[in-house]
Amino acid sequence: MIKIPTRVLLVDDEKDFVEMLSLRLKEMGEKVTLAYNGQECLEILEKENIDVVILDIKMPGMDGIETLTEIKKRFPIVEVIMLTGHGTTETAVEGMKLGAFDYLMKPADFDDLTVKMEGARKRKDEQEERIRKAEATFLLRKSGNI
Amino acid sequence: MEGIRLLLVDDEEEFRRTIAKRMTLRGISPEQAGTGEECLSVLEKKPVDVVVLDVKMPGMSGIEALYHIKEKYPKTEVILLTGHAATQDGVEGIKAGAFDYLSKPIELDHLLGKIKQAYDKIRREEEKLREAEFREKMEQQMIATERLASLGTLAAGVAHEINNPLAIIKESAGWMKLILNKEEFAEIPRKQDFDMALDKIEKGVERAKRITLKLLGFARKGDSVLAEVDLKELAGEAIQLVGREAANREIEIVRKMDVPENTIWSDPYQLRQVLLNLITNAIHATESGGEITIKLEVTGENVALIVQDTGQGIPKENLEKIFEPFFSTKSPGEGTGLGLFVTRGIVEKLGGTIEVESQLGNGTSFCIKLPKYLEVKEDLEGNHHADLLDKIVKMG
Repeated sequence: MIKIPTRVLLVDDEKDFVEMLSLRLKEMGEKVTLAYNGQECLEILEKENIDVVILDIKMPGMDGIETLTEIKKRFPIVEVIMLTGHGTTETAVEGMKLGAFDYLMKPADFDDLTVKMEGARKRKDEQEERIRKAEATFLLRKSGNI
Repeated sequence: MEGIRLLLVDDEEEFRRTIAKRMTLRGISPEQAGTGEECLSVLEKKPVDVVVLDVKMPGMSGIEALYHIKEKYPKTEVILLTGHAATQDGVEGIKAGAFDYLSKPIELDHLLGKIKQAYDKIRREEEKLREAEFREKMEQQMIATERLASLGTLAAGVAHEINNPLAIIKESAGWMKLILNKEEFAEIPRKQDFDMALDKIEKGVERAKRITLKLLGFARKGDSVLAEVDLKELAGEAIQLVGREAANREIEIVRKMDVPENTIWSDPYQLRQVLLNLITNAIHATESGGEITIKLEVTGENVALIVQDTGQGIPKENLEKIFEPFFSTKSPGEGTGLGLFVTRGIVEKLGGTIEVESQLGNGTSFCIKLPKYLEVKEDLEGNHHADLLDKIVKMG
């Protein structure tokens, strides 16, 4: 079975963490892009096609929640998994209300991460499929063939 | 007069009996003793509030007995009966700690009056002692709560900082493991040693993670006790504790708490801390002659506790900072800058919110909204179970 790589964007100000996690994800066959702050994350989303963003909540400058809000506003179809270093579930709940797919507590279990990533990827695929179908219906209707 | 435990000491049996009999008619039944020695042995057997003690007795004199009584039972009050024109004895007795003296022949009403005064004094002393103990206990509790809160903040900070490097170690070890398990690495020498060491790293990380999660849990939870809390009573207690300070500054504290329901289900100790902090702040902010109002309002599933003062108010630029830790406008050493920080922490932990409104020169009003019924939030352990359940469901 050929694995279709998930296009992951890792956002965290902890460079070492981002690097190691990306190596691991790449080794698993995913396509990984790195960003070290919220601004960078948004710039990359502007240029590249990303399926899932793994987003640290606590970052200097634009924090995770702000970044999440901005992502959901500008790229609503992109799925976001939050990493909370706090151990407080409150922020995670806030994030989910803002449209995040799920959250993980740092240090996260890799298996948990992959399971949640797959779930996020699946939701995005399905959503895209629905959009395609809706567009097709719309086009057909417009050309008067229905 | 009832309930006073009295001991009558006189060597003249006839006199003693008559007095005792007449006192019994007035509702006091005194114990009796004929000598100083007998008096002390009665006291040893049962506690007495007031001793009426004849000074002139064979054997141990009244004054001598008085010294013994005051040494052994300092709370017991003594009224001396002196012979006519023997004021010297009376004065000496008062110096030795007697409540007062009466010269014989005595008038019963006079004696009863004195006994009552002595008894009142005992009760006042007891009340003072109780109050002092209560205050001391409260103060200790306050210090402990504040200390816990700052410790909690520190612990949470440390835990968070450690979680990041832990995540790095974990990812690195995980990655190495991933590589080692690839086919091309199947035959490398001493592969088992690597596997073992990586396992140990992962186990170590797990262990450290459990510790940091516990620290974070501690910072959030604390030991709360949930019970039915009568807010009116609670406010009364808080006012009692700070009442003297308010009275010293001529500040009046008014309660407007007459609502049909004034009980909620919450943590009484923490709530009292909150009220104390707010009232103390209000007192410090209010000029003499000012007024502090504590209001209670009920709306739907919530109650609102409002502490309002007529003080100097908080400047706009400070309004956002007052809940931050270590922010204080008092001089260093006077304020910890933790009061409102702790207060907000507690209120939020109790499922409530705190809001402030202030106008320079017109005073400040803090409004706490609390749920009538506080439900225990799921803690970290609970979350863990939820995660597990989630996994099991997904696997199934």
